[in-house]
Amino acid sequence: MVHVALPDSSINPAKAKTKPGYFADTGIPALLQQMMIQGATGSPKEMIAKITGGANVMDTNNVFNIGKRNILAVKKILWNYGVSPRSEDVAGNISRTITLTAKNGRTMISSPGKTDWRL
Amino acid sequence: MIDKSAKISSIIKQIKLLSSSASRLFEITTREDHNLNEVVNIIKHDANLTAKVLKVVNSAAYGLQNKITAINRAVGFTGETTLISIAMNEAVNMLYTKDLSGYEGEKGDLWAHNLLTGLAAKKITPHAKKQINGDVAFTCGLLHDLGKSIISDFLINTSSKVIQAIENKKVDNYNIAERKILGIDHCQAGFELATHWNLPEPIPSAIRFHHTPIEAQEEYKPLVYAIHLGDILAMMVGNGTGADTLRYKLDSNYTKYIEITENDLARIMVEIDDEFTKMQESMQENQ
Repeated sequence: MVHVALPDSSINPAKAKTKPGYFADTGIPALLQQMMIQGATGSPKEMIAKITGGANVMDTNNVFNIGKRNILAVKKILWNYGVSPRSEDVAGNISRTITLTAKNGRTMISSPGKTDWRL
Repeated sequence: MIDKSAKISSIIKQIKLLSSSASRLFEITTREDHNLNEVVNIIKHDANLTAKVLKVVNSAAYGLQNKITAINRAVGFTGETTLISIAMNEAVNMLYTKDLSGYEGEKGDLWAHNLLTGLAAKKITPHAKKQINGDVAFTCGLLHDLGKSIISDFLINTSSKVIQAIENKKVDNYNIAERKILGIDHCQAGFELATHWNLPEPIPSAIRFHHTPIEAQEEYKPLVYAIHLGDILAMMVGNGTGADTLRYKLDSNYTKYIEITENDLARIMVEIDDEFTKMQESMQENQ
């Protein structure tokens, strides 16, 4: 699982080295690399990818719409690996926490004030 | 609606007053021309605060080889932002540590959110069209949501309904729902607390108008917009206070007072992430 905050690491390459997961363009490759180290085999195309988050703050000046840019960046990078997300729960003005159960791959989203739901 | 504003206002009037060191710190740090020595002098004369600062600077997060035992030396490592955070955390600890059940938030959320808002607001100030003091913005950010700790207990079991109302577009902002439920929102409760504590301007205005910066007095607008943006940014990076996270509208009029680009915002996010992590780690070690 990787939790990205920004789409593009060119804004601060030093940070990308110490914390690659902070950016979509370094976080997803780092996640795949770690999966390989932990014993994953096969091509990334066989991977089941799920994405969530990217809450949107409406800003007519287009400065604060980082959530939208993160979603696009993540999809683009996955597409470059030939992966299309199995499911997604993105955007909206909602904060989300995701839980992944490693033994069965089940993913649940929770958000304060709402009943948990499955991704 | 059952108007509970009178009851909440009377609770605010019973909240313990600030210590003399804390009051003086607020006075000094909201003065635009203050300097670090004035802050150090107050801390130096408060044994409890001195001990807290030394504990933080000697924590693993700072990784210093030799133990620091003098406050003047400690300040060289912490800087003013951390110093103010330690002092404020101590001064208002009874409110920062409340669990925010009414928002379905957790213990520590309020402190983390306020700290991140303060850090973000401070980094936003150089982008203001009119000069704003970054440390003043930081102090206001640290206090902006204190009202939540006061009204939280009155909001228990309301969050699902509020979220439904927002999703059905019956209400725009979470604080408007608070007003509909209680007759008072966290901005007003925080403002009344700031008044009870005799906190100097611009703190009361920043607290009162952080969701409606357009309503602030013209002279405070640049600062209040900086807090407004810092608050939104803190929520965007995942540090909210529970069910109300991201359930507020951004006032796009900020461009009249703050000139900020998409890249500036990304740089600010990266900078505050490191600073926030270090401050959280060093202060948590000493809780």
